[in-house]
Amino acid sequence: MIDILIAFSMVLGTILIYKLSSIIHTKFHFPFTLPIFISTLIIIILLVALDIPYETYMVGGDWISELLGPAVVALAYPLYKERQLLKKLVMPILIGTSFGAVVGITTGVILAKWAGFEHEILYTISSKSVTTPVSMAITDSLGGITPLAAVFVMIAGISGAVLSSYIFKYTKIHHYLGRGIGLGSASHAIGTATALENSEVEGSISSIAMIISAMVVSIITPWVISILL
Amino acid sequence: MLHILKIAWHLLILYTIFLIGNWIQQTFHLLIPGSVIGMIILFLLLVTNTVKLSCIEDGTKFMVRHLTLFFIPVTVGIMSYFDLFRGRGVLLVIIVILSTILVMISSGWISQWLIMRKEAKHD
Repeated sequence: MIDILIAFSMVLGTILIYKLSSIIHTKFHFPFTLPIFISTLIIIILLVALDIPYETYMVGGDWISELLGPAVVALAYPLYKERQLLKKLVMPILIGTSFGAVVGITTGVILAKWAGFEHEILYTISSKSVTTPVSMAITDSLGGITPLAAVFVMIAGISGAVLSSYIFKYTKIHHYLGRGIGLGSASHAIGTATALENSEVEGSISSIAMIISAMVVSIITPWVISILL
Repeated sequence: MLHILKIAWHLLILYTIFLIGNWIQQTFHLLIPGSVIGMIILFLLLVTNTVKLSCIEDGTKFMVRHLTLFFIPVTVGIMSYFDLFRGRGVLLVIIVILSTILVMISSGWISQWLIMRKEAKHD
């Protein structure tokens, strides 16, 4: 009975904080006010302040995480909606995202290897550019540390979203296709949310890039890793 | 009220497709996650008109719009890893950011170059 009460209040609390964060983001429109960032920050501060362990929070949090699977299935919708555009741009999208996927896996793994980290960490860092559930699944199948994968994915998402405007400016990437693919390939859903703020086309390109990147990365990661290690 | 029921019904369909995706992944020992397989299934169902868009539209729109919410409990898991980011672990944060910048530049630059070349040809 108490478990259900805890679970219920954690679910409700998370939804409320998410709503609050969305309001803050619409009012103060900065990259570092992204709802995923402030919501996580607020919840961690609250849990630490109230001395609630993560495991207790997850009694309810798991109910929300359970919906990650169907949420990824739902991404077929923007893909279907933009299928005409996708058809027209299929080559640049495929080449750009595949290239980004290879760069993401190799640079992450090689840099971490140079820094002297153990294999478990290398497996975990390899898929950090793709959306959380996919990255966690890849990490799990490789034998990495699944919750840490989510942490890397989040750092990739937030840093990419925050830095994108500077990166595009200095590398002269102005075309919606380049920007959308850059954001979707490097920063998955968080990048896509940022791209959607710039323009609808850029957002849809970014979601397509995120989806293709997730597929490419989940297929080639074991391969690339076996070549690198 | 009717709208909420509709979303709940669509969610049930999405969840079923997710479970089918999971089942396919486990049965054939695929590396592609069940959720991604589910996404491909739904895409194919829509393209082949087996499932009409109106049968899932409200629910999928809802899920895509609130995508961030479903990530939150997982990202809060960062708190269990604070120790790792002390000392040498800071290197991992720097590596992830560096690699992210490289992915953004390389994928963005290549696709822009390809499309500009294509557009120039047509002009």
